[in-house]
Amino acid sequence: MRIQRIYVSIMMMIVGRALSAISRVDEEAIEEIKGLPEDYIIQMVVVPGGPGFKVRTVGDGTLEVANNTQRKVDLSIKFKHLSHAFSVLSFQEGTAEAFTKDRMIADGELSHSIRLVRILNKMEAIILPKFIAKRAVKRYPDNLGCMEKITKAVRIYARVIRHLIIGS
Amino acid sequence: MAKSYYEFFSPVKIVAGHKALEHIPFELSMLGATNPMIITDKGVKGVGLVDHVEGVFASTDSQVKTIFDDVPPDSSLATVRNAAKVYRDNNCDAIIAVGGGSVIDTSKAVNILVSEGGDDLHAYAGAHILKRPLKPFFVIPTTSGTGSEATLAAVISDDDGRKQSYASYFLLPNAAVLDPRMTLTLPPHITAMTAMDAMTHAVESYTCLASNPVSESYAAAAVRKISDNILTVMDDPANADGRLALAEGSTMAGIAFSNAMVGMVHSLGHALGGVCHLPHGLCMNLFLPYILEYNQEHNGDRIGELLLSLAGAEVYAATPKAERADKAITFIRDLRDALYEKCQLPRTLQETGKVSEDQLEQIARVAIDDGSIIFNPKEASHEEILAILQKAWD
Repeated sequence: MRIQRIYVSIMMMIVGRALSAISRVDEEAIEEIKGLPEDYIIQMVVVPGGPGFKVRTVGDGTLEVANNTQRKVDLSIKFKHLSHAFSVLSFQEGTAEAFTKDRMIADGELSHSIRLVRILNKMEAIILPKFIAKRAVKRYPDNLGCMEKITKAVRIYARVIRHLIIGS
Repeated sequence: MAKSYYEFFSPVKIVAGHKALEHIPFELSMLGATNPMIITDKGVKGVGLVDHVEGVFASTDSQVKTIFDDVPPDSSLATVRNAAKVYRDNNCDAIIAVGGGSVIDTSKAVNILVSEGGDDLHAYAGAHILKRPLKPFFVIPTTSGTGSEATLAAVISDDDGRKQSYASYFLLPNAAVLDPRMTLTLPPHITAMTAMDAMTHAVESYTCLASNPVSESYAAAAVRKISDNILTVMDDPANADGRLALAEGSTMAGIAFSNAMVGMVHSLGHALGGVCHLPHGLCMNLFLPYILEYNQEHNGDRIGELLLSLAGAEVYAATPKAERADKAITFIRDLRDALYEKCQLPRTLQETGKVSEDQLEQIARVAIDDGSIIFNPKEASHEEILAILQKAWD
């Protein structure tokens, strides 16, 4: 369980930053984020009091990491147990599949959580090897070519690493 | 493949059958309540259905303390506050909802305020905020469609018209009372529409991703009740056994979908209802076969299994496995045609006369963000949703 906690904590850091990164790299994700209200706080967290991350919409379709915000969260995706978060974040169980199995609950506007799942799916499709991504998402995007996938994945990983090292 | 994990919860006591209403005073007394308030709407009261309920309290120690009949078609915060005030002013100790979806949702919200105190319903918005049981709460449905008597959610419009949802296990009623007298006078058009709403709840909860072994048994039984009785009731509206079977089917479908959720028929139906202000049951009838066809490559085996409940054992046994899904969809199409013959229940968007082709784009945009879409077996793109709408157009 200790190893799971460490893994989930690291993955939460990466996923939060990868969401922020994809909002600067992928047009479809940018369009999806534009559909959310501005200054909208999204949280993904393991309850109670487990690891998590927060991101905030800053207008024009971009997200920024907002782990330290004290503002009320607008949409919270809550994993009911650490092991459920581990299954999803180790890509053994897809996000949509986890919803259908009651592994997590969405507290907030449901249509926004559906949008968030689509953004997460797109992110996973880009940054994961295709054979893993196909397991993690309900439908691998037909229009995601190999070159586009690699180029965008490199840009997302670069942004995540930069954020982890220098914090912006 | 066996479901690797699922949850099922249905604590609502079903009180069903002829003279079911007469059981209410006793059932309430078991919960320590003797002074219930009835919440209903003017239409239900106007046709005398509340009289049936009030009548059963004569010669008992209990009495209906007051009747609140001011529930509008779309539940609102102001209505909930008003009803809660009436409850408190009359020292009531239980709520009986007599009506359809709006009355039931309003009653659930009123129960929050009168149990928790105060007027701030907002404080309980969202999922699982309530932490303790509420006042005794019975539901008597007057339509056989929504299944709200078996669900844990309520949707109430804010003062500014925004819909806010409330979900909690404590919103589930203590009992659902199904008495055929309460639906005998339902007009044919509404009977057909609400039955197809219940049919869709059952079919989608059976064929979509969150289906589980317990919910699917309720769903299959609901499909059987509805398909066996809908046309009988359309031909003979005073058939009390048929009316009871539809009510049972609706409640079983409600139990099924409150545990296994619904899919893309509802995503499109919610969107169409929102954009074009069409009744929910009508929207379900419009989209059901088209979505089943769309999903068929992913869950054809599940659709095929429903042929047994839809058409019966002989047809099922005589149909090769590979053809059962097609036959199930054809059965639903034929049922829609029959309902169109009997009460002109529209089968296409064009037949509604209230949708224009240039609204399809907007409907597709709203549908793709609907919460139920995540439970659909096949992930749909905007273009695919638009193509389905085009198919459903004519």
